[in-house]
Amino acid sequence: MVFNSLTFVVFFACVLLLHNLPLGWTTRKVNLLIASYLFYAAWNPPFVILLWVSTVIDWYAAQGLVKAQRQSARHAWMLLSVVANLGMLGYFKYGQFLLDNFTALMNALGVAYQPAHYDIVLPVGISFYTFATMSYTLDVYLRRAAPARNLLDYALFVTFFPHLVAGPIMRPTELVPQFAEPRRATADQLRFGLALMTLGLFNKVVLADSFLSTVAEKVYDADKIPGALDAWAATLAFSGQIFCDFAGYSTTAIGAALCLGFAMPDNFRFPYAAVGFSDFWRRWHITLSSWLRDYLYIPLGGNRHGERRTYAALMTTMLLGGLWHGANWTFVAWGGLHGFYLGVERALRARFANYTPGPFALLLLGLLTYALVNLTWVFFRAKTFGKAWLVLNGMAGMNASAKPILTTFYLVCVAVIVGGIVGTHWYMRTRTLESVIARAHPAALTCVWALLAFAIVIAQGSGNAFIYFQF
Amino acid sequence: MTHTESTALELRDVPASLLHDGYARETAADRPGVAQPVPQRPVPNQPWNRILIGAVVLFALLLGGWEWYWRAFGATPGIRNSEGLWAIQRRRLDAGEGDATVLLGASRVYFDVQLPVWEKLAGKRPIQLAIEGTSPLGFLEDIAADPNFHGRVIVGVAPQIFFTGFTYRGRVLKYSKTESPSQRIGQWLSMRTIERAFAFYDPDFALATVLKRQPWPDRPGRPAQMDVRKLAVTESDRATHIWSKVENDPAYREIARNVWRQEFVPSDDDPPPAKLEQMITDEIARAAKVVATLRSRNIPVLFVRPPSSGPFLEYENTLWPRAKTWDALLAATGAPGIHFEDYPEMQGMELPEWSHLTRADAERFTEALYRIVTRDFWPQ
Repeated sequence: MVFNSLTFVVFFACVLLLHNLPLGWTTRKVNLLIASYLFYAAWNPPFVILLWVSTVIDWYAAQGLVKAQRQSARHAWMLLSVVANLGMLGYFKYGQFLLDNFTALMNALGVAYQPAHYDIVLPVGISFYTFATMSYTLDVYLRRAAPARNLLDYALFVTFFPHLVAGPIMRPTELVPQFAEPRRATADQLRFGLALMTLGLFNKVVLADSFLSTVAEKVYDADKIPGALDAWAATLAFSGQIFCDFAGYSTTAIGAALCLGFAMPDNFRFPYAAVGFSDFWRRWHITLSSWLRDYLYIPLGGNRHGERRTYAALMTTMLLGGLWHGANWTFVAWGGLHGFYLGVERALRARFANYTPGPFALLLLGLLTYALVNLTWVFFRAKTFGKAWLVLNGMAGMNASAKPILTTFYLVCVAVIVGGIVGTHWYMRTRTLESVIARAHPAALTCVWALLAFAIVIAQGSGNAFIYFQF
Repeated sequence: MTHTESTALELRDVPASLLHDGYARETAADRPGVAQPVPQRPVPNQPWNRILIGAVVLFALLLGGWEWYWRAFGATPGIRNSEGLWAIQRRRLDAGEGDATVLLGASRVYFDVQLPVWEKLAGKRPIQLAIEGTSPLGFLEDIAADPNFHGRVIVGVAPQIFFTGFTYRGRVLKYSKTESPSQRIGQWLSMRTIERAFAFYDPDFALATVLKRQPWPDRPGRPAQMDVRKLAVTESDRATHIWSKVENDPAYREIARNVWRQEFVPSDDDPPPAKLEQMITDEIARAAKVVATLRSRNIPVLFVRPPSSGPFLEYENTLWPRAKTWDALLAATGAPGIHFEDYPEMQGMELPEWSHLTRADAERFTEALYRIVTRDFWPQ
């Protein structure tokens, strides 16, 4: 189920009630586990089996890793986990993509190959929970962490509903220890958790779904040629939409967990205030970028084997990171562009090692970063390269036959909302949400909270799925 | 792994020492290649109890004011014409009611055929699957392929929708096939709680819709188009009639007419004449194919052209003249049809905004339709 639905409101109220009954800790953990399976089954009940498969394989792989005496046996247990998880991910997420590309290759070589048609339904959140479970066996393999003490704690780590389908991608060492001792939210944790959920849902329901998504759709999904203003407005709108959608989900998830007494990590740190791309990736989808760094980039050699290997590892990481987002070459291009930006930035940092920008230069570099990030969003949003080039041409003012697409209302929406987002990110660049809230007047917090909740209700969201569910 | 393996992915621009507050904390981005610790999630120091109570009270006041505003506007709580509501009716065909009479079409069949009147005459309500702004052919193809269906179909023809294949709400069909358990529960809850309680819970009163229809200045080359306003009131089985405000409020009726008037003016988005001709040909061919399938399964199909009037009728007759559309459709499909112009008992109806009948005349139209159907086409 999605957070922005009436079903979730009732579900969450029941979970909160059960979690606060005077029951034993094990019973309450079992309640959370069952609730999490129900949360997942509410999409498509049979796919709970995949969750069990992933859970059981990694549980036994980690047990095997601990008991194994020889290094070859440890390798084998680790490989079992990686192959099983990536195999599942590959079949459900990339099966059709691989088949389509193989068919295209065969046809290009003159071989008339036509595969049998088969429909594969992508299990929601599979990219997230396979990465979470893999981090468990990989941490045990790398001797960074001990395995969970019991299957219940481990299964709850994999399945815990706030992070299950769209992150933040949690590591076992972040969550499993929290299941060791009985937990209940304090009254203030519960209230602050509800405030975070309100903020997250406002981002999703009001900003992303009610205003920004329509602007992006009118240009990216229409059979029209955009001019510079429309192409830029739609791309800026998408930059706001995807932030509000995904950061909104993370904030809601963090709030939901806090209401139950659990802490989840930050996933976003005001990314549109980033200066440079290494800074951007320290602020955007932090739990994915750090996962890729720890389990892909560093094992590929990181920066330990000279410049050439570093650039290769960087590009490989970003290309695969792009592919993680979706089975389409446009996502690979998105990742490749980010890899290119990171490479250029690395070279520039080496060349101008002693340069420290002043406040004005920092602002300009920040705006340049945001503009370049927007170019990458074109490939992320466009369904085909043809559409991506059309929008990029529009952004460059090179679509001579373009006619206006967006009305004044939509242009005003983009200016106000996206301008507000970027301005807020810049103000919050070296702050945290908690610090700003701590310094605010309680009356102001009261009004803001009420207005956010009011806006959510009168926006009448239709329960649209979060963008990242498809990944 | 150690921090010495810091890479381009981990370069810092903001040292922690520069962070402005006591809530600064590291993230996984600051800790490469190590086991990540249990996260910190501090609660800002504030009187949260007071804040929560104040927020709830203020929220209730704001919502009460919003509800009062829309009730003063004339709205009453009602069932939302959602995808989930349509899916409930579609499922009935596969859950033991496969012998039902099914109504397909766009808003005219949806608003103008009154289920209680039909039930009074026939003893059984038809299943209402017509939906606004959407060609019925996709739905007709769907039930033609459904082995559970063996009833009868009445297909409404609104020329500008049927003969262009326009599908404003075509997504309902896919939704009905892929609706998740969570969505079903949400629909069930919504129909029994929010929709029964709040008048403001209507797509026409949603925040973005309300803001969009404010008088924004026109962008050169892209004047704003008014969206169709709330025109009808729906019950839980999709029995629907025109909203009393359209009938009784001259100013609102004029708004509804102005929305249609936009259609009557040529625009850049209109298909060129040759393309329009092709669309008509394609849709008629599509209809002929699906009617043939239904005929092979002994499922009767009857086309109905509900009334329109005034400038709307003139517009339809200009772009979709009867001979090229309605008559051609009946000839190509071999199916029978009822055109409102052909029956005296369907004349003299009142259509406040030229496209949909008043509630009283919708009842009269339904009675006439039922009697013609049973007299001339499907004798009881």
